[in-house]
Amino acid sequence: MNKFQRYSCMAFSALFAVAVFCFYCFQYRYHVAYQEQYQLFEWTAGYFASVCSVPGGFADWCGRFLVQFFIQAPAGALIYALLLAGVQVLCFLTFRARNLLLYALSFIPAILLWIFCCNESSLIGAVVAVILSLSALHASFSFKLNPVLRLLAVPVLYMLCGPAALVYALAICADGFRPGVLACSILLIAACPFAGQFIFHRTLLQLSTGVHYFRFPFVVAWMPLIASAVAAVLCWLSSLDWSGVRTSTSNWLGWGVAMVFAAAIPSVVKAGCDFRKEESMKYDFLVRYHLWNRTIDAAAHRQPGSPMTVSSLNLALAMNSQLGEHQFEFFQNGPDGLLPGFVRDFTSPLPTAEAYWNLGMVNTAQRYTFEAQEAIPDQQKSARCYRRLAQTNIINGDLDVARKYLDALDNTLFYRRWAQDMRQAIESGKALDNPELKHISELRLRDHDFLFSETEMDSMIGLLMLENHSNSVAVQYLMSWCLLKKDLDRFEQCFSLVRGTMMNKSYQEALLLLWASTHDGVDGMPLDLQGPNVSRLGSFIEAYQAGSSEEEMQKKFGDTYWFYYFYRYK
Amino acid sequence: MSRLSNISGIIAIAVLAVSCSQKAIVAGEFPANAGPIYPDYMGVTVPAGIAPLNFCYTAPGTSKAVTTFSFGYQSFTVKGVEVRIPEKKWKSMLQAARGSQITVSSTVLDEPWTISVSEDDIDYGLTYRLLEPGYEVYSKMGIYERELGSFKEKALIENTEFSGCVNCHATNRGEPSQYSLHIRGDHGATLLQLQGKLDAYNTKTDSTLGFCVYPYWHPEGEYIAYSTNNTRQGFHVQQDKLIEVFDLDSDLQVYDIRNNTLITAPQIKEKDYWETFPSFSPDGRTLYFCRAVPKSIPENITDIRYSFCKVGFDPATGTIGQDVEVLIDAENDSLSVCFPKPSYDGKYVVYTQSAYGNFSIWHHEADLWMLDLQTGERRPLDVLNSPDTESYHNFSSNGKWFQLASRRDDGLFTRIYISHFDSETGEFTKPFMLPQKNPRTFYRDRFLSYNVTEFTTGPVQLDKVRARKIIASPERVPFGFRWSR
Repeated sequence: MNKFQRYSCMAFSALFAVAVFCFYCFQYRYHVAYQEQYQLFEWTAGYFASVCSVPGGFADWCGRFLVQFFIQAPAGALIYALLLAGVQVLCFLTFRARNLLLYALSFIPAILLWIFCCNESSLIGAVVAVILSLSALHASFSFKLNPVLRLLAVPVLYMLCGPAALVYALAICADGFRPGVLACSILLIAACPFAGQFIFHRTLLQLSTGVHYFRFPFVVAWMPLIASAVAAVLCWLSSLDWSGVRTSTSNWLGWGVAMVFAAAIPSVVKAGCDFRKEESMKYDFLVRYHLWNRTIDAAAHRQPGSPMTVSSLNLALAMNSQLGEHQFEFFQNGPDGLLPGFVRDFTSPLPTAEAYWNLGMVNTAQRYTFEAQEAIPDQQKSARCYRRLAQTNIINGDLDVARKYLDALDNTLFYRRWAQDMRQAIESGKALDNPELKHISELRLRDHDFLFSETEMDSMIGLLMLENHSNSVAVQYLMSWCLLKKDLDRFEQCFSLVRGTMMNKSYQEALLLLWASTHDGVDGMPLDLQGPNVSRLGSFIEAYQAGSSEEEMQKKFGDTYWFYYFYRYK
Repeated sequence: MSRLSNISGIIAIAVLAVSCSQKAIVAGEFPANAGPIYPDYMGVTVPAGIAPLNFCYTAPGTSKAVTTFSFGYQSFTVKGVEVRIPEKKWKSMLQAARGSQITVSSTVLDEPWTISVSEDDIDYGLTYRLLEPGYEVYSKMGIYERELGSFKEKALIENTEFSGCVNCHATNRGEPSQYSLHIRGDHGATLLQLQGKLDAYNTKTDSTLGFCVYPYWHPEGEYIAYSTNNTRQGFHVQQDKLIEVFDLDSDLQVYDIRNNTLITAPQIKEKDYWETFPSFSPDGRTLYFCRAVPKSIPENITDIRYSFCKVGFDPATGTIGQDVEVLIDAENDSLSVCFPKPSYDGKYVVYTQSAYGNFSIWHHEADLWMLDLQTGERRPLDVLNSPDTESYHNFSSNGKWFQLASRRDDGLFTRIYISHFDSETGEFTKPFMLPQKNPRTFYRDRFLSYNVTEFTTGPVQLDKVRARKIIASPERVPFGFRWSR
């Protein structure tokens, strides 16, 4: 390759990295934060040893090390960019021949891994594993290691990287074909999982396809293995005699392949993405960091639809004391959109736990947080969950348990300062001076105990309100729960407790609806119900009785409780 | 490749170096109720074969210490606030001090203290389940084996190998060749290892309530008594309580191993009672169990009380006796009995007593009590109890040692304690916490509870590849069923 071609290649690699960076930084940024919250990277020998104790553990440890920086989306995007560009560059460096066509083809493993990384359950350790294996291959070529050392490296590499060592094992002698060495290498890499099943508490399938390449341990992630195999094939391809191919031919072919890739990457990567999940991750992120205004803005931009996103929005509205006023301006999917029922899942219980936390139901917030963490499929722990569990235990007075969580967080890079501050507060007896903890501890139930029941939510929230009238989130949630269940009698009963202190749009609409169902006119209507809403209800009833379509009704009355009452949550 | 290995080596060393330096003790580093040393090994009695009782000084600010262990002419010192005892010297001193006491003195504490060394041997090790103490969802868990003479702990089976949960496990008086293990979840089964052969059974029959749950081996090894429970959980909203686990129904049944048949009888499968926690007397002719009068839940959950009962059992015919005798009437005494475990000399039964219910691990008030079967006298085992939960327990195979689970450290994470038992006097010694190599951080860093701990007289030879295969396979050996004659 001439100088121009070399610089062009460098520019293309850099461009590829920039594209990856921009994608994760602007298009898929909540995916990055999502990765970070499902791990707890500890800077301890014990953690290192436990992660590295299975095949591929070292690559996994490196991956987890990198993922801790994902707490900042740009840092995460940069890491993705460097890793994927690294795969491409290393792949090209292992090639025996260098031309533009081979250079273009060297993007294939990186593109495959990019698609792989768009899945929220893909673990970055798989990419690290491919990088380590390619590095080992490149090193063995560069240092011209003898065959015995190369073969000895196969099981070592398998232990460090897992089955992504395939690329090394398959291309072990691409710099000088020796059938015996290749056969031995293939036998060795195939034997590793078989031997491993007698040593490790993993299945043969896991050991053959990667223990920590994917968050779900019993789901096979083929992409890292395919990428590894493709890299090996390309390496062998590069070792063929290219002298017969004219430079201009390979150049044109190379440019052609590069153009095809450039054109195809956006749609191929997009096909690997799930923007519906990205939307959920966004709400989860916003709720996690208590970005209530941004949550409401996001909903105004695009209506949320799942229980998780709707409940996040409702929490944001309640935290801004706007639930009664604006709730029905947004899509509502019933009581599940206020406090979703518990599911054995590691994602949806987290925003629900935030709702219970802000209601003052500390034990329930603790349970949801703990259960979410326990449900993480690859059995990792979560720094986000540990933080909340430390808080709930402090409020519950279980300080020794809280200390355990804080000690673990003290071993992390980004939660250390918070953990140390909380620890100091505990030791000086001032833990509950923390404004957030003080506020939540004031909200919690003191005089009543009962077993949590999803079917008696109104009673539970009602007790919170009765014990502490200043618990505005509980007041709003209680009213909202009755409204969402369409239990207007119960709503009226509950509202009577706070009538005179608050009147919001949806409450007025619900009371008007109740009034209309029991009265023929406005005579005797309480003053706080009178106003423009009365005539609007008249219009609504008129349109409803005239048989207007749902679309028409939504257009005119979509922001009212009446529309929800008649057209939603049937 | 070599460069990469070097880099990983450097990283490992760096991580180790950062983590291994002995820092001064800081406030709050140990549980609030910790004594001058943690774990509290002052005045305990240990078997001669126990691993070094490593400990750590707890006074904040302590950065240096010299600890001297002495017996007769033997003596050695350990420097540092983390007292990690050299294994060879420890073992040699323990052997010499059998039936006597080791004196421990320190530059940090004014008074020396003693460790008594019993002449009674202890079993090879313990088996237990490790899991995070939580609610309904579980993460990594497994059954592990710990050698008592060392710090070696190995996994027998983990749920990384299959999707599900490992549950109650039991040996016949610590005999590892007779091993029962229950798996829950998609691959639910009861694994039975008998004389080296491991099989997966479906323990649910059309005539019984559900799967077999709490096991207890008959001393002759030909039967296993099981409860079958319909268990649910509830979650408190108050801060001093978290979880309530309760049964909505339960029965007893005895598995006849030779004939692969479950045997039950109306008197242990009554509609008017929930029967659970079976155990056989050492002569194998009595079946002990607990039972409660059903009440509506959750309204009357605090009124559910389990009495302690017994019924005859004829091992020759597998016949369950007709008359159930109530040994502790829980309704009368306003208490609840669970986990009755007879001592192997047949004189006593140690049980957990709580205010109500049958899942004592979540009851802070739960304590260990002992019933003298000869006199009928009951008394709390004060030397074993703490202000927090004491729950699951059992005797070693020779009946001389006793292990118990306690949450005395922090109120949540269950730890194992071992005590010496004198069957002549019925007295226990101050229990000692299961020793660990790193006394300072081990229990702090372990976010797992010890659950259903049992003594084992030797290593459990569980073929993990076969276990994995039969768990994954849909095939299960079905249990037969018959009524007791």
